[in-house]
Amino acid sequence: MTDVGFVIAGYAVILGGAALYAIALGRRLRAARETSMKIRRDAEAAGPPDRTA
Amino acid sequence: MKTRILGFVGLAAVIGAAVFGLVVVPADLNQGDAQRIMYPHVASAWLGELSFGVTALAGIGYLWRRDLRLDAIAHAAAEVGVLFTAFAIWGGMMWGRPVWGVYWQWEDPRLATTALLLALGIGYLLLRRLSDDPARRATRAAVVGIIAALDIPIIHFSVIWWRGLHQTPTFGDPSKLLNPSAPGLFVIALMGMLAAFTIVWCYLMIRRYQLARIEWQIEEHGRLGRISAARRAAALNAVVQETSE
Amino acid sequence: MSVLRRGAATALAIARKDALSELRGRQASGSTLFFAALVLLLFGFALGPDSRRLTEAAPGLLWLAIVFGGLLTVARLHQLEVEDGAMEQLALYPVDRRAIYAGKALAGAVAMLALGAVLLPVVAILYAIPIGSAWLPLITTVALGAVGFAAVGTAYAGLTVRMRAREVMLPLLMLPIVAPLLLAAVKATTVALNGDPFGELGAWLQLLAAFDIVMLVAGAGTYGFLLED
Repeated sequence: MTDVGFVIAGYAVILGGAALYAIALGRRLRAARETSMKIRRDAEAAGPPDRTA
Repeated sequence: MKTRILGFVGLAAVIGAAVFGLVVVPADLNQGDAQRIMYPHVASAWLGELSFGVTALAGIGYLWRRDLRLDAIAHAAAEVGVLFTAFAIWGGMMWGRPVWGVYWQWEDPRLATTALLLALGIGYLLLRRLSDDPARRATRAAVVGIIAALDIPIIHFSVIWWRGLHQTPTFGDPSKLLNPSAPGLFVIALMGMLAAFTIVWCYLMIRRYQLARIEWQIEEHGRLGRISAARRAAALNAVVQETSE
Repeated sequence: MSVLRRGAATALAIARKDALSELRGRQASGSTLFFAALVLLLFGFALGPDSRRLTEAAPGLLWLAIVFGGLLTVARLHQLEVEDGAMEQLALYPVDRRAIYAGKALAGAVAMLALGAVLLPVVAILYAIPIGSAWLPLITTVALGAVGFAAVGTAYAGLTVRMRAREVMLPLLMLPIVAPLLLAAVKATTVALNGDPFGELGAWLQLLAAFDIVMLVAGAGTYGFLLED
């Protein structure tokens, strides 16, 4: 690999890696928000907590 | 919404800095094109160190205040820190191979220190993963973060002294090898990349912190659910026992 | 000043208790010693049979063996407590957490000093090292290394002892932290065995001492938080 190859590999992995991480974060955040919404909806639908014994 | 704008600004800044470093700045007189890797490499290293500093400080804050939001900041900073530190090592290797002829060598103190930093960061993340109780996890993580941060200066000095009398001319100090043909542009490229990376860092930190907070809420809900389910099961059991007697 | 004396008394009491259970359950500490010696033997097979290469590598191999033995030692000093449920009792006991930490760290340091002292003649024989007049700087190095390792090891052992996968977590967390200690101890050992022609020994011993102080302060400061949970 010529010098330029190493430079490209360097930039690609670093910048690409940061981009991939940002995208992955976006996905994880969306999934978590959906789960959180679902929990809240279930809680509201269930009404006040029942007291058993 | 503001975070999204920050994200796009960061993206634009990084692209701009990358174009500047790859194309606009002339090649170094000593190191040639390989020197261009320095820009993202140094920026990554700097932000990795900043991240772990934030982790340690947030850990101290947690031990003092017991506010789990500080723990979320520590967690976010550690994950982002591992990312940037890994980038720094990769950049160092991509620089080392053309300039030194090898991907790795032990005489460069910063490479050794950065490797240990990465190991400490990964250890921190693994520790968090193996703890379930949020308070215990936060306490353990804080202690590890603080001790690791205190170790860094010791590592730094020990590795520098290690090289000591052993300086071989091949693996000399990278900054002494530099010979930029346009020093002004070189500085602008470095500072520009640093600024761009810092914006990206801020964006990633915010997003990771938000994620940590929501994940904690989900976790709490799960815990409470298990507790109330256990209570209901116990109560049901008691009723069954009574009616069968 | 009676607070200080009470703290010191507590620390010594805990150290003595740990030392006694070490001596009574002689299998455990003896096994650790034997394990470390075995590691040294195995290094011979890994790096030999060229004696010169082994002699050159000897300081590093010695300290790797001490580190591996040390991991087992500090882990064991906490496992005793957890198995008997004594950890919870210790946490309830109304005494300064730093005294508890100091006692445990002292016990660990003494155990590791003993380990190192026993391993020195083993290394001398296996790798043909003439110790001779260097025994004093060597023992000093071992002592400083033992204190530093025990200082951070006690804190981390207390941290990991009730965790899942604790057998791997302790070394995983410890090894990067003690890298500078390992580096400095090996350098000091090498330099001492060579007769210290450039007068470097002092610098390395000072680095070890700095590590010791930093880790003792950090450990004492954080141990209380670890006990509470």
